[in-house]
Amino acid sequence: MVAGRLEEEFIAKAKAAGGEIERFSGIAEAFAFISCLAKQLDIKNMAVAPDVSLPSAEINSWPLLKPEKTEDYLGAEAGLVQADYGISSTGTLVHFDRNDAEKIVWTLPHLCLCLLDERRIVQDLSAVAKVLSRHLSQMTLESPQVSLVTGPSRTADIEGQLSLGVHGPSRLVILLFEGKASGSHEKD
Amino acid sequence: MKKIDPHLRRVLKEFSRSYLLKRESVFAGIDFEKLRSELSEMKDDALRKSQEYGALFEARASRGGAKVYRASDSAAANRLVYEILEKRGAEFLVKSKSMVSEETALNEFLTQRGIIVRETDLGEWIVQLAGEPPTHMVMPAIHLTRRDVANIFSRRLGKNVPEDIPALVEIARNELRQEIFRAGAGLTGANALIAENGSIMLVTNEGNGRLVSAIPPVHIVLASIEKVLPTTKDALLLLEVLPRNATGQTITSYVSFIAPSRHKDLHIILLDNHRSEILADPAFREILRCIKCSACLNVCPVYQAVGGKKYAHIYMGGIGTLLTAWIHGLKESRDLVDFCLGCHRCEAFCATKIRIADLVIALRERIRRELGGPSWKRLAFDGVLAHPNIVQTLFSSARLSRPLLGRKEGFARKLPPPLRKYDRFRSLPSPAPESLSQQIKKKSAHEKAWKKRPKVVLFGGCLVEHFYPEVGLDAWRVLAKLGYEAVTAEAVCCGFPAANSGFRSAAAKTFRKLAAGLEDAEVVLTLCPTCTTMLTHLGPDLLGTVKAQRLARKVLPFSRFLLEKEKSKLRELLSSRPSPKPVTYHDSCHHKYVLRAAGESRQLIELALGERIREMEAADSCCGFAGSFSVSHPEVSEPLLEDKLQSIRSSGAQIVALDCPGCLMQIRGGSKRSGDKVEVKHTAQILAECLQVKS
Repeated sequence: MVAGRLEEEFIAKAKAAGGEIERFSGIAEAFAFISCLAKQLDIKNMAVAPDVSLPSAEINSWPLLKPEKTEDYLGAEAGLVQADYGISSTGTLVHFDRNDAEKIVWTLPHLCLCLLDERRIVQDLSAVAKVLSRHLSQMTLESPQVSLVTGPSRTADIEGQLSLGVHGPSRLVILLFEGKASGSHEKD
Repeated sequence: MKKIDPHLRRVLKEFSRSYLLKRESVFAGIDFEKLRSELSEMKDDALRKSQEYGALFEARASRGGAKVYRASDSAAANRLVYEILEKRGAEFLVKSKSMVSEETALNEFLTQRGIIVRETDLGEWIVQLAGEPPTHMVMPAIHLTRRDVANIFSRRLGKNVPEDIPALVEIARNELRQEIFRAGAGLTGANALIAENGSIMLVTNEGNGRLVSAIPPVHIVLASIEKVLPTTKDALLLLEVLPRNATGQTITSYVSFIAPSRHKDLHIILLDNHRSEILADPAFREILRCIKCSACLNVCPVYQAVGGKKYAHIYMGGIGTLLTAWIHGLKESRDLVDFCLGCHRCEAFCATKIRIADLVIALRERIRRELGGPSWKRLAFDGVLAHPNIVQTLFSSARLSRPLLGRKEGFARKLPPPLRKYDRFRSLPSPAPESLSQQIKKKSAHEKAWKKRPKVVLFGGCLVEHFYPEVGLDAWRVLAKLGYEAVTAEAVCCGFPAANSGFRSAAAKTFRKLAAGLEDAEVVLTLCPTCTTMLTHLGPDLLGTVKAQRLARKVLPFSRFLLEKEKSKLRELLSSRPSPKPVTYHDSCHHKYVLRAAGESRQLIELALGERIREMEAADSCCGFAGSFSVSHPEVSEPLLEDKLQSIRSSGAQIVALDCPGCLMQIRGGSKRSGDKVEVKHTAQILAECLQVKS
């Protein structure tokens, strides 16, 4: 499938799974959007996953949570994470976790903001099977894990009615940006 | 058994309806048969090399830093969990959903020893707070309303909470995350254990598995040995099927792969609990292919009527009955085993092609052999049905008693009060004045010129022979019109009732007599799909002879024979004349799911009518007859029949066509009792009418 179609399919499937999509011409534009959203929603504590690199301007201006222990993440209203891949056939975000803190930022806050470089969208899981398997064998990491996230946290346990945010985010906003051509991905 | 809870029945029915729609949508464009064949083969390979892959998983997980334990049974597994908690000083355990921990009764074990155990899956937490067992594998609290949940939460919090689902979900979120942060350990199950890298795969929608495995300082995985798969690629294949078949989702919200790590306190307990015995039993090994998707429950007519509290020990439904027999013992499965209708609908949906209904029959045989069976059944199968002369004498006597038994239109009088539960919801038929064989013998005597015609043997089965000979006569007339000489087989029971009840030797004895009488036949045409199943599947398996296999190849359902051999002739004979009355079609279980002949019957009927069948909702859901099931479980048979009658009414049809005399008895009797004006006819009768050969 050609690149444009992969993105379109990814967007359609991610929305069908309950995700929201915002598109940007570059990561800086995505960061600007986050700044506006944080102000608009009056977010006072934003957790940022350890593997997201923030420019110093954002570090200084954003209401960042500075956790010292795991319990501190309970106060996060939003979490900023970055996916390693997008799967177009299901609208899934793939993240190669290196420790539990990354997984916690993906899961605990009500609002999850996820950066995704649109060049990292692939057709299906088989396209990342090898790298997924390799990541799980990296014993040098603190805790090698892989998360496949498709839409917000959901349950239908009461009367079969769909409800979002029972344990994880009730909103998953995918910030799809046009990445710059560069070398290979650091976790590949 | 008490009367069925109408609320539970309604929600399970609604859940099943929405599940089927979602499932159909997510499998669109996917070859389900091919995909489940791949998955079955992969699981079979993993089961065959279970020891090898188990050892590899253990080695890789241990090398990565996890502590791996083997538990031979529930007691050992529970002890291991307790010892880990004790060593780590953990007094509070949070759990994400784990069927295996329900299998071992872990919560009770730990609670008795002073450990606080908290379920975190919303449905599991609700039933835990309510002190009730789960109703569904995937939707444990489906039987409770929002009001029930609000009451349960109000008691827990000591204040009134609104009967509003989003508010209830938010309460659960806040309460449970406090518990997760407070816990000294988290316990999860695993959907797969990956041998090549020692990691686990966890599939959830809520995300509680992620929190339970990441936040408490200790993570315990309790999983059974058949969850070990060779590679990550195999786990991804499982993931292709599991969410689609379980909930009609292409993928769940969260799938987590967790590899062992020297920085994590990860403990993995591999539970056997008699699974090695299942692996060593070639007849039943396939039940370990089960991936716990619960699709079989979602389409099981009995489960939809009674729910998982009644149709379960721990594991639910037909597959649960089979697992229970090994894991919790034959005695625990003895009552459950009779719940299976034998409709085979589950098998069409099973992710790994497990022959659930056939294995339930094999389990009944094992239970009867090892624990004994009801003496009335032994008498019926060994002492009566296996002896055609006795059967004939009984029916001759019943015919003589018709003036006492019968009322109008072939229905019997109502049964006396102690037996009313059997005919409260349906009028039962009285025996016909003359059997099919008697009537055809008389007719054939006048048709000497037919001797040069191709000969077929018509086998109607006991119900057509003694209660509905008009069905057989119409089939005979259709065949005569098409140029055949149809003769009847000797009126002998096929042996299905005995085989289905696990009375293997009585079934073999009965079937052998029938098979001997059909040995010289070139073609045997059947009017009852259940008898056909006996002639083509169960009987040959019982006898294991070449002759029986040869007979199986000569047996054809009436509709299949006509469609295969006489389609063009029928087209010539049937001038297009739309039926004055709309017709719907009921799929009889064996006809659709064993013989796979439902499509052919529809084609034939539409050819005869010259117009489309008016499809009813859930045409393939059992009418509740299922042979002796409607006698042993009238409280389940009744709601299944009610649902069927409602589907027929909603279709607007005035005629119901079908291919099974048992369904004919049930639906015609139900329509009569409820005052519906619908006519219920066998396909042979519809054809005879359209060919204008009906007397």
